[in-house]
Amino acid sequence: MARGGGNRSRLLLILLLVSSLFLITLDLRGVNLAGSIRSGVATVFSPVENLFSKLFSPIGNFASDFRNFGQSKSKIKQLEKEVDLLKSKDVLDEDLVGQLSQLKNVLDLAGRGGYKVVAAKVINRGSSATFKQTLTIDVGSNDGVSKSMTVISDGGLVGVVKSVSANSSIVLLMSDPTFKIGVRIAGTQGIGVVSGQGGNKYLLQLLDATGEIKVGDVLVARGSEGGRPFVPGVPVGTVTSVQSNASSITQNADVEGLSNLDRIGVVAVVVSAPKQDPRDSLIPKPAPTVTVFVTPTPSPSASK
Amino acid sequence: MSRIRVLNTSIFLFAIFLLQETVVSRINFPINGFSLYLAALMVLLSLEDRNGALVFGFIGGLIMDLSAAADTPFGQWALVLTAIGYLFSVNKESIGDFTDSPIVFIVFISLASALSLVLFLVIGAMLGQENGTFTHAISIIFANTLWSFLITPLFLPLIIKTRTALLSNRERA
Repeated sequence: MARGGGNRSRLLLILLLVSSLFLITLDLRGVNLAGSIRSGVATVFSPVENLFSKLFSPIGNFASDFRNFGQSKSKIKQLEKEVDLLKSKDVLDEDLVGQLSQLKNVLDLAGRGGYKVVAAKVINRGSSATFKQTLTIDVGSNDGVSKSMTVISDGGLVGVVKSVSANSSIVLLMSDPTFKIGVRIAGTQGIGVVSGQGGNKYLLQLLDATGEIKVGDVLVARGSEGGRPFVPGVPVGTVTSVQSNASSITQNADVEGLSNLDRIGVVAVVVSAPKQDPRDSLIPKPAPTVTVFVTPTPSPSASK
Repeated sequence: MSRIRVLNTSIFLFAIFLLQETVVSRINFPINGFSLYLAALMVLLSLEDRNGALVFGFIGGLIMDLSAAADTPFGQWALVLTAIGYLFSVNKESIGDFTDSPIVFIVFISLASALSLVLFLVIGAMLGQENGTFTHAISIIFANTLWSFLITPLFLPLIIKTRTALLSNRERA
Protein backbone atom coordinates (compact mmCIF):
# COMPACT_ATOMS: atom_id res chain seq x y z
CA MET A 1 0.00 0.00 0.00
CA ALA A 2 2.70 2.40 1.07
CA ARG A 3 4.84 1.41 -1.89
CA GLY A 4 1.87 2.03 -4.22
CA GLY A 5 1.35 5.48 -2.71
CA GLY A 6 5.08 6.19 -2.99
CA ASN A 7 5.09 5.23 -6.66
CA ARG A 8 2.12 7.47 -7.31
CA SER A 9 3.86 10.37 -5.57
CA ARG A 10 7.01 9.77 -7.58
CA LEU A 11 5.02 9.69 -10.82
CA LEU A 12 3.24 12.90 -9.83
CA LEU A 13 6.56 14.54 -8.98
CA ILE A 14 8.04 13.62 -12.36
CA LEU A 15 4.90 14.84 -14.14
CA LEU A 16 4.96 18.19 -12.35
CA LEU A 17 8.71 18.71 -12.83
CA VAL A 18 8.44 17.89 -16.52
CA SER A 19 5.49 20.30 -16.84
CA SER A 20 7.51 23.07 -15.17
CA LEU A 21 10.52 22.43 -17.38
CA PHE A 22 8.23 22.34 -20.43
CA LEU A 23 6.82 25.76 -19.53
CA ILE A 24 10.30 27.19 -18.94
CA THR A 25 11.51 25.79 -22.28
CA LEU A 26 8.51 27.27 -24.09
CA ASP A 27 9.22 30.65 -22.52
CA LEU A 28 12.94 30.56 -23.28
CA ARG A 29 12.26 29.55 -26.86
CA GLY A 30 10.22 32.72 -27.34
CA VAL A 31 6.66 31.40 -27.14
CA ASN A 32 4.94 34.49 -25.77
CA LEU A 33 2.83 32.58 -23.27
CA ALA A 34 4.11 34.33 -20.15
CA GLY A 35 3.97 37.82 -21.66
CA SER A 36 0.32 37.63 -22.54
CA ILE A 37 -0.69 35.91 -19.28
CA ARG A 38 1.26 38.42 -17.16
CA SER A 39 -0.11 41.31 -19.18
CA GLY A 40 -3.63 39.95 -18.59
CA VAL A 41 -2.96 39.66 -14.86
CA ALA A 42 -1.58 43.24 -14.78
CA THR A 43 -4.73 44.47 -16.54
CA VAL A 44 -6.92 42.67 -13.99
CA PHE A 45 -4.84 43.88 -11.04
CA SER A 46 -4.50 47.54 -12.06
CA PRO A 47 -8.01 48.65 -10.92
CA VAL A 48 -7.37 46.94 -7.56
CA GLU A 49 -3.95 48.59 -7.31
CA ASN A 50 -5.54 51.95 -8.15
CA LEU A 51 -8.14 51.42 -5.48
CA PHE A 52 -5.55 50.54 -2.83
CA SER A 53 -3.39 53.45 -3.96
CA LYS A 54 -6.32 55.81 -3.29
CA LEU A 55 -7.16 54.09 -0.01
CA PHE A 56 -3.64 53.95 1.33
CA SER A 57 -2.69 57.61 1.47
CA PRO A 58 -5.53 58.72 3.72
CA ILE A 59 -5.90 55.45 5.64
CA GLY A 60 -2.83 55.96 7.81
CA ASN A 61 -4.22 59.26 8.96
CA PHE A 62 -7.24 57.62 10.51
CA ALA A 63 -5.08 55.53 12.83
CA SER A 64 -5.42 58.26 15.40
CA ASP A 65 -9.20 57.75 15.31
CA PHE A 66 -8.70 54.49 17.15
CA ARG A 67 -6.28 55.81 19.73
CA ASN A 68 -8.91 57.13 22.10
CA PHE A 69 -11.51 54.40 21.97
CA GLY A 70 -13.27 53.69 25.24
CA GLN A 71 -13.63 57.27 26.45
CA SER A 72 -16.89 57.62 28.29
CA LYS A 73 -17.68 61.25 27.81
CA SER A 74 -19.57 61.74 24.61
CA LYS A 75 -18.53 65.35 24.29
CA ILE A 76 -14.84 64.47 24.42
CA LYS A 77 -15.53 61.81 21.81
CA GLN A 78 -17.29 64.22 19.53
CA LEU A 79 -14.60 66.88 19.90
CA GLU A 80 -11.81 64.38 19.34
CA LYS A 81 -13.58 63.10 16.27
CA GLU A 82 -13.78 66.60 14.88
CA VAL A 83 -10.11 67.27 15.70
CA ASP A 84 -9.04 63.99 14.12
CA LEU A 85 -11.13 64.67 11.04
CA LEU A 86 -9.53 68.08 10.69
CA LYS A 87 -6.08 66.61 11.28
CA SER A 88 -6.62 63.86 8.71
CA LYS A 89 -7.93 66.43 6.25
CA ASP A 90 -4.79 68.47 6.85
CA VAL A 91 -2.53 65.46 6.28
CA LEU A 92 -4.52 64.50 3.19
CA ASP A 93 -4.12 68.05 1.89
CA GLU A 94 -0.39 67.88 2.62
CA ASP A 95 -0.22 64.60 0.68
CA LEU A 96 -2.01 66.15 -2.28
CA VAL A 97 0.13 69.28 -2.10
CA GLY A 98 3.25 67.07 -2.07
CA GLN A 99 2.04 65.18 -5.14
CA LEU A 100 1.15 68.40 -6.94
CA SER A 101 4.58 69.82 -6.16
CA GLN A 102 6.23 66.63 -7.53
CA LEU A 103 4.06 66.84 -10.64
CA LYS A 104 4.91 70.51 -11.16
CA ASN A 105 8.63 69.83 -10.81
CA VAL A 106 8.64 66.80 -13.13
CA LEU A 107 6.69 68.71 -15.79
CA ASP A 108 9.09 71.61 -15.36
CA LEU A 109 12.06 69.27 -15.90
CA ALA A 110 10.38 67.73 -18.97
CA GLY A 111 9.60 71.18 -20.36
CA ARG A 112 13.19 72.37 -19.96
CA GLY A 113 14.46 69.23 -21.69
CA GLY A 114 11.91 69.42 -24.49
CA TYR A 115 10.59 65.96 -23.69
CA LYS A 116 7.02 65.06 -24.55
CA VAL A 117 5.76 63.27 -21.45
CA VAL A 118 2.78 61.50 -19.95
CA ALA A 119 2.45 62.11 -16.21
CA ALA A 120 1.69 59.07 -14.05
CA LYS A 121 1.01 58.16 -10.46
CA VAL A 122 2.88 55.33 -8.74
CA ILE A 123 0.27 52.78 -7.71
CA ASN A 124 2.39 49.86 -6.55
CA ARG A 125 5.84 48.41 -5.98
CA GLY A 126 7.13 45.04 -7.14
CA SER A 127 7.32 42.13 -4.74
CA SER A 128 10.81 41.54 -3.34
CA ALA A 129 10.48 37.80 -4.03
CA THR A 130 10.98 38.52 -7.72
CA PHE A 131 14.48 39.93 -6.96
CA LYS A 132 13.55 42.86 -9.24
CA GLN A 133 13.09 46.47 -8.22
CA THR A 134 10.01 47.74 -9.99
CA LEU A 135 7.15 50.22 -9.74
CA THR A 136 3.68 50.03 -11.22
CA ILE A 137 2.31 53.27 -12.67
CA ASP A 138 -1.25 54.09 -13.67
CA VAL A 139 -0.67 54.75 -17.37
CA GLY A 140 -0.45 52.14 -20.10
CA SER A 141 -0.81 51.56 -23.81
CA ASN A 142 -4.13 53.48 -23.82
CA ASP A 143 -2.15 56.59 -22.84
CA GLY A 144 0.52 56.13 -25.50
CA VAL A 145 3.07 54.41 -23.28
CA SER A 146 5.07 51.56 -24.74
CA LYS A 147 7.99 49.35 -23.72
CA SER A 148 11.50 50.81 -23.27
CA MET A 149 10.47 54.40 -22.62
CA THR A 150 12.43 56.54 -20.14
CA VAL A 151 10.71 57.35 -16.85
CA ILE A 152 11.71 60.51 -14.97
CA SER A 153 10.78 62.21 -11.72
CA ASP A 154 11.35 65.73 -10.45
CA GLY A 155 14.93 64.74 -9.48
CA GLY A 156 15.93 63.00 -12.68
CA LEU A 157 16.01 59.44 -13.96
CA VAL A 158 13.75 56.82 -12.35
CA GLY A 159 14.00 53.88 -14.72
CA VAL A 160 12.64 52.42 -17.89
CA VAL A 161 9.26 50.95 -18.86
CA LYS A 162 9.61 47.18 -18.74
CA SER A 163 6.13 46.01 -19.67
CA VAL A 164 2.86 47.64 -20.56
CA SER A 165 -0.79 46.67 -20.20
CA ALA A 166 -3.83 48.71 -21.24
CA ASN A 167 -4.02 50.90 -18.12
CA SER A 168 -0.80 50.29 -16.22
CA SER A 169 2.91 49.79 -16.80
CA ILE A 170 5.77 48.23 -14.91
CA VAL A 171 8.89 50.36 -14.55
CA LEU A 172 12.28 48.77 -13.91
CA LEU A 173 13.93 51.07 -11.39
CA MET A 174 17.48 52.30 -11.91
CA SER A 175 18.34 50.82 -8.50
CA ASP A 176 17.77 47.30 -9.85
CA PRO A 177 21.11 45.46 -9.99
CA THR A 178 20.53 44.54 -13.64
CA PHE A 179 19.96 48.15 -14.67
CA LYS A 180 22.73 49.84 -16.67
CA ILE A 181 22.81 53.22 -18.36
CA GLY A 182 25.42 55.04 -20.43
CA VAL A 183 26.21 58.42 -18.87
CA ARG A 184 28.27 61.51 -19.53
CA ILE A 185 29.96 63.62 -16.89
CA ALA A 186 28.48 67.06 -17.23
CA GLY A 187 31.13 69.53 -18.28
CA THR A 188 34.03 67.15 -18.91
CA GLN A 189 32.45 64.91 -21.58
CA GLY A 190 33.91 61.77 -19.97
CA ILE A 191 31.64 58.79 -20.56
CA GLY A 192 30.88 55.77 -18.46
CA VAL A 193 28.28 53.26 -17.37
CA VAL A 194 26.19 53.56 -14.22
CA SER A 195 24.75 50.37 -12.78
CA GLY A 196 22.22 49.81 -9.98
CA GLN A 197 23.32 48.28 -6.70
CA GLY A 198 19.96 47.61 -5.04
CA GLY A 199 19.71 50.88 -3.08
CA ASN A 200 20.15 54.60 -3.70
CA LYS A 201 23.89 54.09 -4.33
CA TYR A 202 25.14 53.34 -7.83
CA LEU A 203 28.42 52.35 -9.38
CA LEU A 204 29.97 54.39 -12.17
CA GLN A 205 32.56 52.78 -14.41
CA LEU A 206 34.33 55.47 -16.36
CA LEU A 207 35.40 54.03 -19.71
CA ASP A 208 38.43 56.28 -20.07
CA ALA A 209 40.95 55.36 -17.35
CA THR A 210 42.73 58.68 -17.77
CA GLY A 211 39.53 60.72 -17.66
CA GLU A 212 39.00 63.21 -14.91
CA ILE A 213 36.33 62.60 -12.33
CA LYS A 214 35.81 64.26 -8.98
CA VAL A 215 33.36 64.26 -6.10
CA GLY A 216 30.33 66.41 -6.89
CA ASP A 217 30.37 65.76 -10.63
CA VAL A 218 26.87 65.38 -12.03
CA LEU A 219 26.09 62.57 -14.47
CA VAL A 220 23.55 62.86 -17.26
CA ALA A 221 22.14 60.19 -19.58
CA ARG A 222 23.95 59.96 -22.92
CA GLY A 223 20.81 58.80 -24.64
CA SER A 224 20.08 55.89 -26.95
CA GLU A 225 19.39 55.82 -30.64
CA GLY A 226 15.83 57.01 -31.22
CA GLY A 227 15.53 57.97 -27.56
CA ARG A 228 14.86 54.40 -26.45
CA PRO A 229 15.36 53.21 -23.84
CA PHE A 230 17.04 56.44 -22.72
CA VAL A 231 16.52 60.00 -23.83
CA PRO A 232 19.60 62.23 -23.62
CA GLY A 233 20.22 64.83 -20.96
CA VAL A 234 18.29 63.34 -18.03
CA PRO A 235 20.19 63.89 -14.75
CA VAL A 236 21.16 60.52 -13.26
CA GLY A 237 23.23 61.15 -10.13
CA THR A 238 26.10 62.86 -8.37
CA VAL A 239 29.56 61.38 -7.73
CA THR A 240 30.09 60.89 -3.99
CA SER A 241 33.48 59.16 -3.96
CA VAL A 242 36.12 58.11 -6.46
CA GLN A 243 37.85 54.74 -6.24
CA SER A 244 41.24 55.22 -7.80
CA ASN A 245 43.14 52.10 -8.76
CA ALA A 246 46.21 52.52 -10.96
CA SER A 247 46.14 48.93 -12.23
CA SER A 248 42.51 49.06 -13.36
CA ILE A 249 41.62 49.76 -16.98
CA THR A 250 38.54 51.70 -15.89
CA GLN A 251 37.94 54.20 -13.12
CA ASN A 252 35.15 53.49 -10.67
CA ALA A 253 33.15 55.91 -8.59
CA ASP A 254 30.23 55.75 -6.17
CA VAL A 255 27.20 57.71 -7.26
CA GLU A 256 24.15 58.90 -5.38
CA GLY A 257 20.89 59.01 -7.33
CA LEU A 258 19.11 62.32 -7.80
CA SER A 259 15.65 60.75 -7.48
CA ASN A 260 14.55 59.39 -4.13
CA LEU A 261 13.06 56.12 -5.37
CA ASP A 262 11.62 55.17 -1.96
CA ARG A 263 9.42 58.23 -1.70
CA ILE A 264 8.40 58.66 -5.29
CA GLY A 265 4.70 59.35 -5.92
CA VAL A 266 4.48 61.02 -9.31
CA VAL A 267 6.59 60.31 -12.39
CA ALA A 268 6.53 61.12 -16.10
CA VAL A 269 7.04 58.75 -19.00
CA VAL A 270 8.96 60.32 -21.89
CA VAL A 271 6.93 59.33 -24.94
CA SER A 272 8.93 61.39 -27.40
CA ALA A 273 12.62 62.35 -27.35
CA PRO A 274 13.61 66.01 -27.81
CA LYS A 275 14.68 67.22 -31.25
CA GLN A 276 17.94 68.54 -29.77
CA ASP A 277 20.05 67.07 -27.01
CA PRO A 278 19.46 69.30 -23.96
CA ARG A 279 23.11 68.70 -22.99
CA ASP A 280 23.70 69.95 -19.43
CA SER A 281 20.69 72.23 -19.15
CA LEU A 282 18.76 69.93 -16.81
CA ILE A 283 21.44 69.67 -14.15
CA PRO A 284 20.05 70.77 -10.82
CA LYS A 285 21.47 74.15 -9.97
CA PRO A 286 22.84 74.72 -6.49
CA ALA A 287 20.56 76.78 -4.25
CA PRO A 288 21.52 80.44 -4.47
CA THR A 289 23.38 81.73 -1.44
CA VAL A 290 22.63 85.15 -0.10
CA THR A 291 25.71 87.31 0.39
CA VAL A 292 25.33 90.36 2.59
CA PHE A 293 27.91 93.12 2.36
CA VAL A 294 28.16 95.33 5.39
CA THR A 295 29.88 98.67 5.11
CA PRO A 296 30.64 100.09 8.53
CA THR A 297 29.40 103.62 8.85
CA PRO A 298 31.87 105.95 10.60
CA SER A 299 30.64 106.73 14.08
CA PRO A 300 30.17 110.44 14.96
CA SER A 301 32.73 110.18 17.77
CA ALA A 302 35.43 108.90 15.38
CA SER A 303 34.91 111.81 12.97
CA LYS A 304 35.47 114.37 15.69
CA MET B 1 -7.71 14.92 -2.46
CA SER B 2 -10.83 16.00 -4.29
CA ARG B 3 -10.85 18.23 -7.37
CA ILE B 4 -13.08 20.75 -5.65
CA ARG B 5 -10.50 21.13 -2.85
CA VAL B 6 -7.75 21.68 -5.40
CA LEU B 7 -9.90 24.37 -7.02
CA ASN B 8 -10.85 26.01 -3.71
CA THR B 9 -7.27 25.99 -2.43
CA SER B 10 -6.05 27.44 -5.73
CA ILE B 11 -8.60 30.26 -5.45
CA PHE B 12 -7.50 30.85 -1.86
CA LEU B 13 -3.86 30.99 -2.95
CA PHE B 14 -4.75 33.39 -5.75
CA ALA B 15 -6.53 35.66 -3.25
CA ILE B 16 -3.38 35.77 -1.10
CA PHE B 17 -1.33 36.46 -4.23
CA LEU B 18 -3.64 39.38 -5.07
CA LEU B 19 -3.18 40.71 -1.54
CA GLN B 20 0.59 40.32 -1.86
CA GLU B 21 0.81 42.07 -5.22
CA THR B 22 -1.56 44.93 -4.45
CA VAL B 23 -1.11 45.64 -0.74
CA VAL B 24 1.93 43.99 0.86
CA SER B 25 4.27 45.02 -1.98
CA ARG B 26 3.37 48.67 -1.35
CA ILE B 27 4.78 48.59 2.16
CA ASN B 28 8.34 49.82 2.45
CA PHE B 29 9.71 47.30 4.93
CA PRO B 30 13.03 48.18 6.55
CA ILE B 31 16.02 46.26 5.09
CA ASN B 32 13.93 44.67 2.34
CA GLY B 33 10.52 43.28 1.53
CA PHE B 34 8.39 40.41 2.76
CA SER B 35 6.48 37.82 0.76
CA LEU B 36 3.23 37.05 2.52
CA TYR B 37 2.33 34.70 -0.31
CA LEU B 38 5.47 32.60 0.06
CA ALA B 39 5.01 32.32 3.83
CA ALA B 40 1.32 31.38 3.47
CA LEU B 41 2.16 28.80 0.82
CA MET B 42 4.84 27.25 3.06
CA VAL B 43 2.25 26.95 5.85
CA LEU B 44 -0.15 25.19 3.47
CA LEU B 45 2.55 22.84 2.12
CA SER B 46 3.65 21.86 5.61
CA LEU B 47 0.10 20.82 6.49
CA GLU B 48 -0.54 18.81 3.34
CA ASP B 49 0.02 15.11 2.72
CA ARG B 50 2.61 13.85 0.18
CA ASN B 51 0.55 14.40 -2.96
CA GLY B 52 -1.00 17.60 -1.64
CA ALA B 53 2.43 19.17 -1.00
CA LEU B 54 3.50 18.37 -4.58
CA VAL B 55 0.28 19.55 -6.25
CA PHE B 56 -0.06 22.77 -4.24
CA GLY B 57 3.65 23.47 -4.61
CA PHE B 58 3.21 23.33 -8.38
CA ILE B 59 -0.04 25.33 -8.45
CA GLY B 60 1.37 27.85 -5.96
CA GLY B 61 4.43 28.25 -8.15
CA LEU B 62 2.33 28.77 -11.27
CA ILE B 63 0.37 31.50 -9.48
CA MET B 64 3.64 33.14 -8.38
CA ASP B 65 4.84 33.01 -11.98
CA LEU B 66 1.91 35.28 -12.87
CA SER B 67 3.56 38.23 -11.13
CA ALA B 68 3.67 41.06 -13.65
CA ALA B 69 6.90 42.39 -12.13
CA ALA B 70 8.68 39.07 -12.68
CA ASP B 71 11.25 38.92 -15.42
CA THR B 72 11.82 35.20 -15.17
CA PRO B 73 10.60 32.44 -17.49
CA PHE B 74 7.08 31.28 -16.81
CA GLY B 75 7.37 28.03 -14.87
CA GLN B 76 10.50 28.84 -12.87
CA TRP B 77 8.62 29.37 -9.61
CA ALA B 78 6.52 26.29 -10.41
CA LEU B 79 9.72 24.25 -10.69
CA VAL B 80 11.17 25.70 -7.47
CA LEU B 81 8.03 25.22 -5.42
CA THR B 82 7.40 21.71 -6.78
CA ALA B 83 10.89 20.83 -5.54
CA ILE B 84 10.11 22.46 -2.18
CA GLY B 85 6.81 20.55 -2.08
CA TYR B 86 8.78 17.36 -2.70
CA LEU B 87 11.12 18.18 0.20
CA PHE B 88 8.08 18.70 2.41
CA SER B 89 6.51 15.44 1.26
CA VAL B 90 9.57 13.21 1.73
CA ASN B 91 10.27 14.66 5.16
CA LYS B 92 6.66 14.55 6.25
CA GLU B 93 7.23 11.86 8.88
CA SER B 94 10.53 13.20 10.21
CA ILE B 95 9.27 16.77 10.38
CA GLY B 96 6.40 15.67 12.60
CA ASP B 97 3.45 17.77 13.54
CA PHE B 98 4.72 21.31 13.94
CA THR B 99 1.37 22.75 14.86
CA ASP B 100 1.99 21.50 18.41
CA SER B 101 5.00 23.80 18.77
CA PRO B 102 4.18 27.16 17.18
CA ILE B 103 7.65 28.70 17.60
CA VAL B 104 9.36 25.76 15.86
CA PHE B 105 6.66 25.84 13.20
CA ILE B 106 7.27 29.54 12.50
CA VAL B 107 11.04 29.09 12.41
CA PHE B 108 10.53 26.20 10.00
CA ILE B 109 8.22 28.29 7.76
CA SER B 110 10.72 31.18 7.72
CA LEU B 111 13.60 28.87 6.80
CA ALA B 112 11.52 27.13 4.14
CA SER B 113 10.71 30.54 2.57
CA ALA B 114 14.43 31.36 2.60
CA LEU B 115 15.25 27.99 1.00
CA SER B 116 12.69 28.68 -1.77
CA LEU B 117 14.35 32.01 -2.54
CA VAL B 118 17.81 30.41 -2.56
CA LEU B 119 16.60 27.66 -4.89
CA PHE B 120 14.97 30.29 -7.11
CA LEU B 121 18.30 32.13 -7.32
CA VAL B 122 20.24 28.93 -8.03
CA ILE B 123 17.89 27.86 -10.82
CA GLY B 124 17.93 31.45 -12.12
CA ALA B 125 21.73 31.40 -12.20
CA MET B 126 21.63 28.09 -14.09
CA LEU B 127 19.29 29.70 -16.61
CA GLY B 128 21.67 32.64 -16.99
CA GLN B 129 19.65 35.27 -15.15
CA GLU B 130 21.17 38.35 -13.57
CA ASN B 131 19.76 38.84 -10.11
CA GLY B 132 22.22 41.35 -8.76
CA THR B 133 25.12 41.12 -6.40
CA PHE B 134 25.54 38.45 -3.75
CA THR B 135 25.05 41.05 -0.98
CA HIS B 136 21.82 42.25 -2.55
CA ALA B 137 20.46 38.71 -2.81
CA ILE B 138 21.49 37.94 0.77
CA SER B 139 19.79 41.10 2.05
CA ILE B 140 16.53 40.12 0.29
CA ILE B 141 16.64 36.57 1.65
CA PHE B 142 17.60 37.70 5.15
CA ALA B 143 14.85 40.35 5.25
CA ASN B 144 12.25 37.92 3.97
CA THR B 145 13.25 35.34 6.60
CA LEU B 146 13.16 37.94 9.37
CA TRP B 147 9.77 39.37 8.37
CA SER B 148 8.35 35.86 7.84
CA PHE B 149 9.40 35.00 11.38
CA LEU B 150 7.84 38.18 12.80
CA ILE B 151 4.66 38.38 10.72
CA THR B 152 3.69 34.72 10.18
CA PRO B 153 2.31 34.33 13.75
CA LEU B 154 -0.24 37.04 12.91
CA PHE B 155 -1.87 35.17 10.05
CA LEU B 156 -0.93 31.56 10.81
CA PRO B 157 -4.21 30.72 12.66
CA LEU B 158 -6.21 32.17 9.76
CA ILE B 159 -4.39 30.02 7.20
CA ILE B 160 -4.83 26.89 9.32
CA LYS B 161 -8.55 27.61 9.85
CA THR B 162 -9.12 28.33 6.16
CA ARG B 163 -7.31 25.17 5.17
CA THR B 164 -9.44 23.13 7.59
CA ALA B 165 -12.56 24.73 6.13
CA LEU B 166 -11.44 23.75 2.63
CA LEU B 167 -11.03 20.07 3.55
CA SER B 168 -13.76 17.70 2.45
CA ASN B 169 -15.70 15.76 5.11
CA ARG B 170 -13.81 12.57 4.25
CA GLU B 171 -10.43 14.30 4.60
CA ARG B 172 -11.45 15.86 7.90
CA ALA B 173 -12.42 12.43 9.25
